[in-house]
Amino acid sequence: MTTLLKRFTNILFSLRTTLWLSGFMLALMLAGAFIMPSQKEFETIHSTPMFEWLKIQPIAITWWLWSLIGVLTLLTVNTLFCSVESIIKKRKVTRWPLLISPQIIHIGFLFMLFAHLMSAIGSYQKFAVVQEGSMLRISDNVVLKVKDINIQSDYNGYITDWKVGIEYLKEGKELSADTILPNSPSLRTGFNINVKDLQAYPYEAVLLQVSREPGAVWALAGSVLFMVGIITLIALKIRMER
Amino acid sequence: MLALSLALYLLALWKRPLLYAGLVLQVAYIISRGIQLERLPLVGPHDTLIFLAASIVAFSIPFGVLLKEKKQFFNVVTISASVFTVLVMISKQHNSPLPPVLRTFWFEFHVVLAFMSYALFGIAAILGYFDLTAKESSTEGLHYRAVLIGYCLFTLSMIFGGIWAYLAWGTYWMWTPKELWTSILWLFYSFYLHARLSQWWTDRPMAYLAITGFAITMFTYLGVSLLMKSSHSF
Repeated sequence: MTTLLKRFTNILFSLRTTLWLSGFMLALMLAGAFIMPSQKEFETIHSTPMFEWLKIQPIAITWWLWSLIGVLTLLTVNTLFCSVESIIKKRKVTRWPLLISPQIIHIGFLFMLFAHLMSAIGSYQKFAVVQEGSMLRISDNVVLKVKDINIQSDYNGYITDWKVGIEYLKEGKELSADTILPNSPSLRTGFNINVKDLQAYPYEAVLLQVSREPGAVWALAGSVLFMVGIITLIALKIRMER
Repeated sequence: MLALSLALYLLALWKRPLLYAGLVLQVAYIISRGIQLERLPLVGPHDTLIFLAASIVAFSIPFGVLLKEKKQFFNVVTISASVFTVLVMISKQHNSPLPPVLRTFWFEFHVVLAFMSYALFGIAAILGYFDLTAKESSTEGLHYRAVLIGYCLFTLSMIFGGIWAYLAWGTYWMWTPKELWTSILWLFYSFYLHARLSQWWTDRPMAYLAITGFAITMFTYLGVSLLMKSSHSF
């Protein structure tokens, strides 16, 4: 039993395992990169949370995604075990930033994986074509009203700028007002409201997108940690070489 | 200007200082495009290829200084830059105004960082090629450095892209061919960086990884845009 446990932990703490798992991930993603563009079903992948979407799609086209989830789970465990083992083994080093920075990179990576997990459980996008005066229920008691649509075009008909004024209403009373601009969505209680497309003629209308992205904050936090870790590591390596 | 920079690059195979003259000319071309378009000229194959060609030459300079057999290295860099310059000359310029969604520094930084990292991956591939063919001591340390810095810039490019996507389209990640291939590229270089810590992956295997990585880079950049339908297409 002890031998078996020792063997099991050796595999978990192993860089070789990391490399094998990464290799499997690459192969699965390569498969997906060719399956995805050829299957129409993937056009609806963003409309519902990914796990909900996966449950109803044929396994013939989603096997690589399911396998990827499995491999990522193993990679998460491997990353955690390797990081802890690294810290324990090298805890007496004097250059502790060199010990810590790769682990900060790993924590950032794990945060990003968590972000994708949160998004796979709870993210979705919904669309609605709206004009000035249109109303849209975005949650149980909050309604979005499109106050005004302003589209500017040049002499060739290219849209050069736009803005959409909106207000949030609850039981007919205004809660707040906001303006949606290019790259400046309206954010309200976990919802991201932005403009997907616009039409200036024959009447002004916009394709409004209401999306939920619960993983966004975790992705940002993971990105920051990852970059802090990798920049620290590069700076330390340069210093060591000098 | 492009034809002249190509001529300078080709002549640089005999006189290396002409390589730097070609680089100056290409940078001047990029700046003139920027002034003409009143924006950063980084949309479409024409503008992105010239940026890549100039970046490869620019990044080759500090790496070349550290090599013993500089001439061969700079010759391969010159040929690479020349090939990209020829592709620029046959590509159509994208002169139409940018749609409002592309007028943000998130997009500009995302693209600039991506191409700088592609150039570094290209340098790593060239150094990897020398590891396999040249007589001098291993360049593994150098191509590792190129990959590490390229990986850092590429990660930052992906982060900027994710932030921009969230602001523009409500999500930091979309299942499109470009995003998937970008992730494959990022994962590949993550594999490279971890493989280097392992005793079985030294010298020749690392060189092969560096070369393969650049092949994936080129497919991610050009192959996906030209062969697959994606919101990321030129």
